[in-house]
Amino acid sequence: MNIDKLFKRASEKGITDIQVFLSDKNDLNIDIFEGKVDSYVIADTSSIIIKGIYNKKMGTYVTEVLEDDIIDEIIDTIIASAKEIDSLDDAIIYEGDKEYKELTDIYNDNLFNLDVKKKIETLQKMDKYLHEYDKRVSVVETMYSENTNNVILKNTKGLDLKNKANSAYMGGQVIVKDDKDQRVGFDVLISNDFSDFDIEKISKEIVDDALASLGAKPVPSDSYEIVFSNGALATLFSAFQNIFSADAVQKNLSLLKGKLDKVVGSDLVTIVDDPFMKKSSRSRSFDDEGVATYYKELIKDGTLKTYLHNLVTAKKDGVKSTGNGFGGNVSAVNLKMESGKSSLDEMIQSMDEGVYITDVQGAHAGANAVSGEFSLQAMGYYVKDGKKARPVALITVAGNFLEMLKDITMVGNDGKMSYYGVTTPSIKVKSMPVSGS
Amino acid sequence: MLLEQNLIEKILDTALETGADFSEVFIERRNASTLQSVSGRLEKVNNSKSFGVGIRVAKDTQSVYAYTNSKNPDDLIQLTKDLSKSFNDDKLTKRQPLMELEVGKKHQVKIKPTDVDLKDKVKLMKRSYKVASEYDEVIKQVMVYLIDNQQEVLIANSEGRFVTETRVRVRLMTQAVAADKGMMQTGGSGDGSGKGYEFFEEMDIEGHAKEAAKVAKTMLYADDCPSGVMPVIINNAFGGVIFHEACGHSLEATSVAKNASVFSGKKGTKIANEIVTAIDDGTIENAWGSANYDDEGYPQRRRVLIKDGILNSYMVDKINARRMNEEPTGSSRRQNYKFSPTSRMSNTFIDNGDSTLEEIIANTKYGLFAKKMGGGSVNPGNGDFNFSVMEGYMVRDGKIAEPVKGASLVGNGAKILHKIDMIANNLKRQRGMCGSVSGSIPADVGQPSVRVQAITVGGKKKGAK
Repeated sequence: MNIDKLFKRASEKGITDIQVFLSDKNDLNIDIFEGKVDSYVIADTSSIIIKGIYNKKMGTYVTEVLEDDIIDEIIDTIIASAKEIDSLDDAIIYEGDKEYKELTDIYNDNLFNLDVKKKIETLQKMDKYLHEYDKRVSVVETMYSENTNNVILKNTKGLDLKNKANSAYMGGQVIVKDDKDQRVGFDVLISNDFSDFDIEKISKEIVDDALASLGAKPVPSDSYEIVFSNGALATLFSAFQNIFSADAVQKNLSLLKGKLDKVVGSDLVTIVDDPFMKKSSRSRSFDDEGVATYYKELIKDGTLKTYLHNLVTAKKDGVKSTGNGFGGNVSAVNLKMESGKSSLDEMIQSMDEGVYITDVQGAHAGANAVSGEFSLQAMGYYVKDGKKARPVALITVAGNFLEMLKDITMVGNDGKMSYYGVTTPSIKVKSMPVSGS
Repeated sequence: MLLEQNLIEKILDTALETGADFSEVFIERRNASTLQSVSGRLEKVNNSKSFGVGIRVAKDTQSVYAYTNSKNPDDLIQLTKDLSKSFNDDKLTKRQPLMELEVGKKHQVKIKPTDVDLKDKVKLMKRSYKVASEYDEVIKQVMVYLIDNQQEVLIANSEGRFVTETRVRVRLMTQAVAADKGMMQTGGSGDGSGKGYEFFEEMDIEGHAKEAAKVAKTMLYADDCPSGVMPVIINNAFGGVIFHEACGHSLEATSVAKNASVFSGKKGTKIANEIVTAIDDGTIENAWGSANYDDEGYPQRRRVLIKDGILNSYMVDKINARRMNEEPTGSSRRQNYKFSPTSRMSNTFIDNGDSTLEEIIANTKYGLFAKKMGGGSVNPGNGDFNFSVMEGYMVRDGKIAEPVKGASLVGNGAKILHKIDMIANNLKRQRGMCGSVSGSIPADVGQPSVRVQAITVGGKKKGAK
């Protein structure tokens, strides 16, 4: 689409300011099932998000149709929307910041250019390794996913910004079976550097975990000390990340309302948003509104330091945007809970009796981001006298997210970026109710 | 037409040049609108227009997929060539000529979303806001969402299939937040349809708004749910999410064909109590999960999945049909052109039984009445599932007692089907969005009220009777 023409037509029709956010994406997804290519997907897509201010209200239009002949339809729709919007929110198109950090390690040309054959071969090697690792491995699926995202932001206030990032994940899923039970093991590694994909190491972990969980049964319902693995915490954490949004706070939808500069977690808890995290395709030097991003502590040693803001929420609170205006809302770029000093083994060894949870499921439904309450299906191990005594499944662990942050007694040194894009270590928490047999 | 016929034919031909035995083109144009109001004020108006082409090429059970939103013939042919590089065989398959374009005639709509003025859409939302916000002083926040979309698809394949249809969906949802003494709870209710805006003439907008507020208030003062194993009465309508999650997903060829389902190889065997009959029906007139054709261009169908406790049919797509040596069942669906299609549910429900809800409650000495379910998920590998209860009550001595919050139900799909011991006669379906490998699609869940003898209830309160 001819952007100059769009800007010109918008101005002629009475739109005071307009902004476009162009995104070009390339994707590659490969699934190997039982040694054969089961799914192979390549994609090449473009879209534009257009925001325009008319009568001090903001209208939005998203299009994958990029021909110039829809320019008038876009502008007319934006104007019609702006006329109906009666929200008291300000409509702001940003003039820009002085400086934007240059991010050099979020795009890796070698990853994009590496021959697809090599990617498929690596997956097949992983498939073979998983199959041969143990005879109880019955079904194997390995997967690789790569995406490149090139974005351009331009507006009539003179902003013209670019960001290009790519990332990939490689992982596997196995079903292991013995004569009594069958269990699933799954994990992925995320990076934009192909040499980071240590397939033997991850394969071992996937199968070892799945085998160890064979014969898992519920524990009796009771309160137990809990250790969450880094992956389990990531799932839980991602379900509650919206509590940091100033938009949620202002709408009375966040537990953190009125808690700025107050203690909201154990002093072991430090949570940051790191928009410059290396090898993350989410990393960005500017948000979708053109505001420069920066590293910030949300919770420092247990004390809430800031909410996340976009232009509108910042103006309401009389502060500066934190550069977290994404997707028309507020969100973190790379949310991270800082690692602590304890090893996972030390945390498990410190429990006389407890449950080590390796996976929680159903966070999209069983976790209420508004009330903070969660009750989630979990699996892992029953721990007795500091040792994993037996595998556990079909239990639920319930609690309140903020209470849990306060009850953290140990933090692991094993921070890991999850599939959900949040980075978390494992943690140990004071007693929580577990429902089982 | 969404793309020139000769270009479609050229793509289908190019795809077969390296030895593939099947090629398919899926073209989609979509107009969508999402409106959000907060505290009665219209805050977001998101209009979107998408267009894209998905190309699928297969040989035996191996299939590859590409998508783009380019309309340019050179781009499309190049992408097809890149895709067909995955195959290398001298034995070539000849393409069947396309049949005459078949146009889907069922599920017609009267008022298209694109013909409705934004002002009139906003009026519908205000009606809902008014009732929910005035319900009680503890209601502090009300959000209303009005979503509509119109999807035009054209599907052509190398076996001559050539179909097109337009699918419309509309949905209005209200979420209420109740707060008091530092506690906060939410309640939601809404309805949707495969009709156009004429649906809102029949929808009880005020009733749903009131329901959302009522649930939020009830749950605000509810006690924590006790945990433990107990009988659970799962109410009708959205209660059907139990079957959807616990069993429906495991009956999809996606997991069955790969022996990754607990129901693999169980056709013709008893997998449920004999009082259970379950159906997946994509033909119900203008229903949320209905269509003329599935996303491979086969006519949608009614599938009896379980008949009197016996596994009768899986849901099967074209490629998995080859793996399973079965016929496709018209069950292949996808969110949009960005997804390769696979077997999915449409409108799925447990059929009516002989009891009444009153009888079921009267016959339950102690347990949980899950009046309104939230969402859930399942691990198809072993059938373990979980889902949350939005509105729950304890049942004591055959009567509904105090409300409880924070309950979740955990169990195993294969086992729970045998434990359904009472089924009421009040079948009702409800709208849902179902997420799986081929994306998020509209699907109805449904059931009459059912009782499960024993299921693990997760809650914050220590198990007590």
